[in-house]
Amino acid sequence: MNRTKFIAYRLLGALIVLFIVAAACFAIFYLMPSNPAQYSCGKPCSPDRLAEVERYLGVDQAWWKQLFDFLGGIVVGRDFGSGAAAIHCDAPCFGYSFRLRDSVTTLILSRLPVTISLTLGAAVLWAIGGIVSGLIAALKRGTATDSVVMGAAITGISAPTYLLGLLGILLFGFTLNVLPIGGYVPLTENPAMWAFHLILPWIVLAIANGAIYARLTRGQMLEVMSQDYIRTARAKGLSEPIVIGKHGLRNLVLPLTTLFAIDIGGLLGGAVITEKVFGLGGVGTLLLEAVSNLDIQVIVGVTLFAAAIVIIANLLADLSYSVLDPRIGARR
Amino acid sequence: MRRSALIAATLSLGLILTGCNANPELNNDGDKSTNTLGETHKGGTLNIFSEDSDIDFDPGKSQGLAITSLAYVHRRLTTWDIKPGEEGKVVPDLATDTGQISDDGKTWTFTLKNGLKYEDGSAITSADIKYGIERSFSTELSGGLSYHKTLLKGGADYKGPFKGDELKSVETPDDKTIVFHLNSAFGDFPWIASMPAFSPVPKDKDDPGKYGLDPVSSGPYQVKSNKSGSEAVLTRNKYWDEKTDPVRTAGPDEVVFKLGQDASVTAQALISDSGDAKNGFSASFVPASQLAQVQNDPSAKSRLVTSGPGALSYLAMNNEHKGLDDTKVRQAINYAVNKDTYRIAGGGEITGDYASTLITPGIPGHQDFNLYKADPSGDVDKAKSLLKESGAKLGTLKLLVKNDATSVAQAEAIQEALARIDVKVTIKSVDTNTFSADATDAKGDYDLALSSWQPDFPSANGNIQPLFDSSQIGNGNYNISRYSNDEVDALIKKATETVKPEEAQKIWAEADKRIMEDAPVVPLTYNKNSFLHGSNVENFIIGDFPAYPVYFKASLKG
Repeated sequence: MNRTKFIAYRLLGALIVLFIVAAACFAIFYLMPSNPAQYSCGKPCSPDRLAEVERYLGVDQAWWKQLFDFLGGIVVGRDFGSGAAAIHCDAPCFGYSFRLRDSVTTLILSRLPVTISLTLGAAVLWAIGGIVSGLIAALKRGTATDSVVMGAAITGISAPTYLLGLLGILLFGFTLNVLPIGGYVPLTENPAMWAFHLILPWIVLAIANGAIYARLTRGQMLEVMSQDYIRTARAKGLSEPIVIGKHGLRNLVLPLTTLFAIDIGGLLGGAVITEKVFGLGGVGTLLLEAVSNLDIQVIVGVTLFAAAIVIIANLLADLSYSVLDPRIGARR
Repeated sequence: MRRSALIAATLSLGLILTGCNANPELNNDGDKSTNTLGETHKGGTLNIFSEDSDIDFDPGKSQGLAITSLAYVHRRLTTWDIKPGEEGKVVPDLATDTGQISDDGKTWTFTLKNGLKYEDGSAITSADIKYGIERSFSTELSGGLSYHKTLLKGGADYKGPFKGDELKSVETPDDKTIVFHLNSAFGDFPWIASMPAFSPVPKDKDDPGKYGLDPVSSGPYQVKSNKSGSEAVLTRNKYWDEKTDPVRTAGPDEVVFKLGQDASVTAQALISDSGDAKNGFSASFVPASQLAQVQNDPSAKSRLVTSGPGALSYLAMNNEHKGLDDTKVRQAINYAVNKDTYRIAGGGEITGDYASTLITPGIPGHQDFNLYKADPSGDVDKAKSLLKESGAKLGTLKLLVKNDATSVAQAEAIQEALARIDVKVTIKSVDTNTFSADATDAKGDYDLALSSWQPDFPSANGNIQPLFDSSQIGNGNYNISRYSNDEVDALIKKATETVKPEEAQKIWAEADKRIMEDAPVVPLTYNKNSFLHGSNVENFIIGDFPAYPVYFKASLKG
């Protein structure tokens, strides 16, 4: 299978997955007892007005009809309301939030810088921190260092982000009073303040995610370092750093890349809890608030966006295999 | 996202961090001292911490109180004069008085003050107020307080101005005068005229899709920036004239809404009085878990302002269900409920006073009475004998409740109390959306429900009508005990149409007693809300109604 064909198949598969995700969103919301129209009906609300609002929001339709209206919007755009209050959502229209008075695409794009800043900064930290501590643990196998590092990793895996976040805020924000407890300063406005405000969320997210990398690195390294060719490399007189770096670490690139791509993909779709604790208005809080306000179009839009990111991340990981490991390319 | 499933489980962990003491004792000395009004110092930046990620300043869509966020930018015909320890008063805002009423009580006329201007210097006219009201009828901008929509003649069929229709029952004979024609006499109309929809909106500046982001201000502040998920900044409106405004003091130079803040993190920042929190306050109540911490911290305690008894928490009994349709059974449950354990589950004495009436304290016309006198822990013997008398066979009762930790604990207190009279209760805890859907839909698939109610305006009407008028059953409305009594409906109608406040209040008090004779609900507590502010904030006050701070009086120390 050549690469173009491979990508084409994967993209087709991705479209099917996204369609199923969208259908599931509408179906779930249709089956739920709550009525999104009640939020926009006013207080007190009359039956006539409720019916009108349902019609306006489109929630009086069957779920599959809502789904097709939504899909139609992606192709040709959509109009809501009429007269001087009419709203037009240009194609590709991934939904419109009546609550936030904006198209879902605009909303996601406006929140994305926060989520990207949070995710990428944390990713750098956890990749370096996780791999280095995993390496150290592997090379010092069985020592106290190993136990401490792996113990910390277990804690990192099991501690909920919410708890880590609050503990971090309590320690660095209040007790030591050295870091801000939240908020976001755009990178373009003030790079130093951008980083300063994000250090704590980065560390929290890195601890929660990096632990897996430490364990994976340690396990893989232990296995690799017992292989014959490592002994050969040592036997032919190569220095230990070269043995570890060139012959050992290279074997970790593939599994780590896959994990890294999937993690980044997942977080770009919204680091819900971290964003909430630190008051960062990213894609995650957009989704959270949409759920609590039954803003169905935003829910569908953000879910699709998150799913698309995960699919793309997986695709990139797969494509990178043939670059990172020539053997895989040769088989195709 | 791996851990998203843990959200629910971990939210409660916040409590552990702050040292959970479920039952803080109330000491009034600490908070009384700061709930006072003094001179307003001008200047500085006031921060308001909000859990919401967005703030919509569109007056048509707002359900806000007349003393909170929107009041910074929108003046209305009337507004609220709130002082600590006093009943709230309705006072003229843009109008010269609180309205002139016609002999039949069906026509209200208001005249605007002279020289009122918007942020762009243009004049505020009565036509702008009419337009503001009209647009609130449109489906695109529905969602706000809507009492006027049924009161105004022709309101039921009016669909808003965006297709060129006008609402004929609102007349503007000249630029200063506005006349309202109502379906029937309504004595509380001055309160209705203080609602967000009675703010002026200049028609040529209206873009219904976006107006709420940056409206044309008539109040002391205008919107400088409004960024979703981040913050909204208000700066002074130089065309606002303090002499025409009886209530807004406009202390700070800027007001910043910090959006999307975690409530317990905000409370912690306020307790520590650090950074931005020094010059700010939280728009949310202090979470129950952190109230205890505040009680043990002298600095924080001196900055805690606790309201008087406010919103009514009550146990609604579904009057349409078999067994519960028997008055004696409902009276028995009134005796059986343990208000003491219920209140402890909610956070203890600081969170409320025991309730026995439907009209809440702080509302004009409130009369203190208790038809089901018993210890707060209930009167089990009396309950048992009433139940026996009724001869009713009660199956297992389904108690509908929100699924947050506090509500579930309160539901368990009810469950335990009713077990004492051999009534079995199963708790059905659901998320907030499902709760309001289940409680207010046509089916009413529950026997009991735990709910609370704060009126939208300080009139007994707001306590009684939405919860007990038979027209308010289902359709998203709040008569969740599904109580229907022609006699009470007639009393409500009579009181509503009585224009003299003192006379109306007497009828409301009569209705209160009449309803409680039928015992459709168990009044549990009059809730008290506690709010924290930073050390540099003053004039942060809460009146007898509502149990909520008056934003536009808060100012910063010099």
